[in-house]
Amino acid sequence: MDLINLNTPLTDEDVRKVKAGDVVYFNGEVWTCRSLLQKKIIDEGFEMPFSTEKRNVLIHMGPIMVKKNEKWTPVSMSPTTSIRFEKWIPETIKRWGLKAIVGKGTVGEKSRAVMKEYNCFHACPIGVYPQKLVDSVIEVVEVHWIEKIGLIEAPWVLRVRDFGPFMVDVDSYGDSYFEKVEDAVEKNKIKAYEMLGIPRNFEYSSLY
Amino acid sequence: MISLEILGEAIRSTIIKAASELPSDVAHAFEKAIENEKSQLAAESLISTFESCKQAREKGGLLCPDTGWPLFFIKIGTNAKIEGGLLELERVAKEKVKECTQKGYLRPTMVHPITRIGKGDNIGDHIPHFTYKFFPGESLEITFVPKGGGSELFGGTRYRVLAPSDIPAGIKKFVIDAYIQAASAGKICPPSIVGVGIGGTSDICMNLAKEAAVLRPIGSHNRDEEIAKLEIELKRAINELGIGPMGIGGSTSVFSVHIEYAYVHTAGLPVAINANCAIARRATVRIRESEFEFLDDPNWFG
Repeated sequence: MDLINLNTPLTDEDVRKVKAGDVVYFNGEVWTCRSLLQKKIIDEGFEMPFSTEKRNVLIHMGPIMVKKNEKWTPVSMSPTTSIRFEKWIPETIKRWGLKAIVGKGTVGEKSRAVMKEYNCFHACPIGVYPQKLVDSVIEVVEVHWIEKIGLIEAPWVLRVRDFGPFMVDVDSYGDSYFEKVEDAVEKNKIKAYEMLGIPRNFEYSSLY
Repeated sequence: MISLEILGEAIRSTIIKAASELPSDVAHAFEKAIENEKSQLAAESLISTFESCKQAREKGGLLCPDTGWPLFFIKIGTNAKIEGGLLELERVAKEKVKECTQKGYLRPTMVHPITRIGKGDNIGDHIPHFTYKFFPGESLEITFVPKGGGSELFGGTRYRVLAPSDIPAGIKKFVIDAYIQAASAGKICPPSIVGVGIGGTSDICMNLAKEAAVLRPIGSHNRDEEIAKLEIELKRAINELGIGPMGIGGSTSVFSVHIEYAYVHTAGLPVAINANCAIARRATVRIRESEFEFLDDPNWFG
């Protein structure tokens, strides 16, 4: 496991040097997105309300923001589950030129293939540490469409320092960290069944 | 008589406490897990989460930004009197949920199921949700649970009906298999508290699973010895799986397994699980006359 500091926007070389299992921190601009933005842009054909040029690190996240002295200030934030955006992720990578996506958990097969083709990775938090992430935000740069899609679904552009840690779970070579854990769990399951006295040939009776 | 002012202040404090302060049993579970975790990355995961929880309390932040569904579990003393009558309880609770959402203690997560748009105050049909029990006395005991979306939506909630011939192996297999799927890649934020409901009708069963997950402190056991044994057995077996905190691998896969049961039709057996996040949030307040105090244990099944 390597600890890697990355400056945004990421270069193709940055992306190639990180491997599944590495832990990364971001410095520079990142922006947030959830399903209402993806739905409006990809399914309903709305124009993006801001430029994603040089903004190639996307965080699946809906921060809690409050206005203090006329300035938006984060109260709490932590990446949200990526798998529920699976329908849109491949298109967001292509359309917005993403080089890294951060979200809880992992992505599906289709996204993994597009990440390999377009040189992009997915990373996830290794715990739940909203306070650390809030403390890493230097500035709220922009926000759009609060009126249209609400505070948590709105895209927030944030300037951050040491934003992480996030573990790369799917790298640009198509390798998946969680697939390896799941293979190990599948093997351990046999022992768990034995401990519980679940017969090897157990089958549920079919009732419906 | 409990005045509306005291009621409002007690509910407001309870919502904020639930969103920003770990219950003592959950804090203790983190400490114990950090001590015993065998994988280095998993230990770092637990430490970083626990540290953030402590800092959130100091800095006025939140334990987790997803404050999820606002759920109230209320024990009403049979002689409790509220200014303006019992229905005031729900009105005041809604008012405080709205106020706490606008002030950033709760995230405006609740939306219309189809339009996906909310009013930004976490108030809507059946939300917040109220569950009631009666008990002897003059006090009110209110537990507020901000129930996270991860543990509720991504496989941490399951239901199945078993045939009598499938008992007990089928109950155990159901819990193990469902937990593996739900905890994979950290979807439900393990190490979870797994609530298991056995028996009743489908709704009784699901409710028992939910209440076992969110209202019983870690370390508590079912009053029935056989069921308590099953809780320990399941916890040990899940911790052999190597899922780890946030699914990253490790020896801490679950904090606790809580089982509650109801009598059931002789023809079959409903079983259900409901998971609560590792950051298992809840706060309980007891209100009596013009005073209120916080309780560590909701004592829901007591």
